[in-house]
Amino acid sequence: MRDKRRTDLIALAALVCTVVVLLLANRYLDDYKIRIINLSGIYVTLGLSMNLINGFTGLFSLGHAGFMAVGAYTVALLTMPIPMKEMNFFFQPIVPWLANVEVGFLPALLAAGLISAFLGVLIGAPVLRLRDDYLAIATLGFAEIIRVVFTNTQSLTNGALGLKGIPNYTNTWWSWGVAFFTIWFVSFLIRGSYGKAFMAIREDEVAAEAMGINLFKHKVLSFAFASFFAGIAGGLLASLLGTIDPNMFRITLTFNILLIVVLGGLGRIAGTVVAAVIVTVMMEALRFLDESINLGFIQLKGIPGMRMVVFSIILILVVLLRKEGLFTRLKGRESSYAEN
Amino acid sequence: MKRIGLALLVLILACSSWVGLAFAQPIKIGVFEPMTGPSAAGGEMTVEGIELAWEIKPEVLGRPVEIIVVDNKSDKVEAANAVSRLIERDQVVAIIGSYGSSLSMAAGDIVKQKQIPAVGCSPTNPLVTLNNDYYFRVCFIDPFQGTVMASYAVNELGAKTAAVIQDVTQDYSVGLAKYFIDAFRKLTGNPNSIVEISSYNTGDQDFTAQLTNVKNKNPDVIFAPGNYGESALLIRQARDLGIDVPFLGGDTWEAPEFLSIGGEAVEGAVFSTHFTAEAPVTAESGYFLDAYRQKYGKEANAFAALGYDAYMVILDVIEKVGSADPQAIRDGLAEVKGFVGATGVISLDENGDAVKSAVINKVENGRFVYLTTVEPEF
Repeated sequence: MRDKRRTDLIALAALVCTVVVLLLANRYLDDYKIRIINLSGIYVTLGLSMNLINGFTGLFSLGHAGFMAVGAYTVALLTMPIPMKEMNFFFQPIVPWLANVEVGFLPALLAAGLISAFLGVLIGAPVLRLRDDYLAIATLGFAEIIRVVFTNTQSLTNGALGLKGIPNYTNTWWSWGVAFFTIWFVSFLIRGSYGKAFMAIREDEVAAEAMGINLFKHKVLSFAFASFFAGIAGGLLASLLGTIDPNMFRITLTFNILLIVVLGGLGRIAGTVVAAVIVTVMMEALRFLDESINLGFIQLKGIPGMRMVVFSIILILVVLLRKEGLFTRLKGRESSYAEN
Repeated sequence: MKRIGLALLVLILACSSWVGLAFAQPIKIGVFEPMTGPSAAGGEMTVEGIELAWEIKPEVLGRPVEIIVVDNKSDKVEAANAVSRLIERDQVVAIIGSYGSSLSMAAGDIVKQKQIPAVGCSPTNPLVTLNNDYYFRVCFIDPFQGTVMASYAVNELGAKTAAVIQDVTQDYSVGLAKYFIDAFRKLTGNPNSIVEISSYNTGDQDFTAQLTNVKNKNPDVIFAPGNYGESALLIRQARDLGIDVPFLGGDTWEAPEFLSIGGEAVEGAVFSTHFTAEAPVTAESGYFLDAYRQKYGKEANAFAALGYDAYMVILDVIEKVGSADPQAIRDGLAEVKGFVGATGVISLDENGDAVKSAVINKVENGRFVYLTTVEPEF
């Protein structure tokens, strides 16, 4: 019990610190850095939601880009001003029931989360009977289907042309507010009976079922929660960028999140948060590797893409040497699972 | 003593270079292009053109120009980051980019908020400049290109009916198809003149289903804008199925791979593009072609030429307005009329889109051969 109070205190301190940092950042940093902070927040949400399925419940799912797409389009279509909609849909008019809708950011985000969660349940119900790589393939297929559907429904999504002029509501409070809510929610979930059930399923499905855990219910639940947060994060991203198109939600986007989850450690909350921030910041900070370097006496021509190589190397090293993730203190294998 | 002397020397050198720098502050122009990822080939060609232009004209208003190239990874999120970085960290006065309309659109909101003018090289989606006073482009847009090909089909080939096969995942393909269809119907005066519209996705390898449909309808021409790879395969499969009507396409076909993948089958394929290395459209294009050949040892293509033009337009405007202030550059860009570039005579209309001529090329004996130039309608 005392241990729990201590972690609560640490969490509270982290929260206060972040609020102070955000206040200072908004005041003193330029828009470029603020953008990176926003992205970090969004990736924290995405990383945690993916970790909930892949890390805690042990289901290898690769459908995140699909859920993000659903959330992004929901927010885009719900918040976009009506005249802007007309401008965007110059090819084929938008479906009438969406043409005159314009709602605030919060209801739009909630709708994004709920629609994605609904789809998560819909997809999860049949697909979650599969295991391991079969599940990965099925969820990957689902994400592709979403993308293909969005490409072809011209009057709903404007197809390949994409949408622009989505209002930029996303700021550091939104992105980190959602991130903190996600952190709180996931830790709350994991501490409770659901979390225990999720982890039991991860460790051994047969044993878990023998203990009386309803496999199907818990798997679908984990899937639904994860897709809810993925949808919201997709919405935040759409609002941050101001423009989206179906090709944005390719499989590479899922892999970006998977990178964060693996670096942070499967089934690690704090690790995922740290990894999300570090990966997002490093992706920009390492840009100097792409540029030509002038050492005074010799000019090295930059090779575009060098910064991605760094991540690949780190990923290989982590997978080979530190499966627990980069930012986890080693406490011995058995106890570290129980800790969560 | 010796050491102190050395230290002094270094100090003096450092100071003098510092003073030199302060004397003529460079004018910074940012470039964001896909240098990695699926669109890397296009981005690289564009940057080659920009770098060539910079070498030819490295100075304006007595100040050196510095170009800062940032990779956008063919990714929207990265594109937004890259542009934000150029504006905030590098304090550029103008931005060039990007290959790929969706990447350019990701930059749209940022340049508008920060009031930094941007000039696109080859984003042809009409949405890029729409409702954005700070985005311009030196290429024509999809509606024009689609219309050009429709009028070529009707007036030059005498086509009465056409079939359209589009890549539904590519915005330019869908755009070209749409405007081709509209113009073709109008020109033939027959609302049923488009006998078939089929779609495929980027990455598809087998087009027999679409082609069989098209074959049954027996059109006079087939308009199939798309990536060079898929298009070349599609034409090959069409020829195998015994479809022998002409194929028409868009600027993306202008790639050596189109010829190598298509081989014999793509003989006679006709497409619109921005530029041809064969017949210099302006005096400037002759000059550009020579310079490009000298620097890179190969023939220039449309994307390099557009990159070159984007840079030259910005420098021309800076010279004309006599200031490197972003707002002044924007106002100057809005006024550009009759700028002689490598890809033709460029005028920017009220949307910031270039009004300029299109070139029609044909594949003959495994080469791109210049057919004709189509002037825009004013």
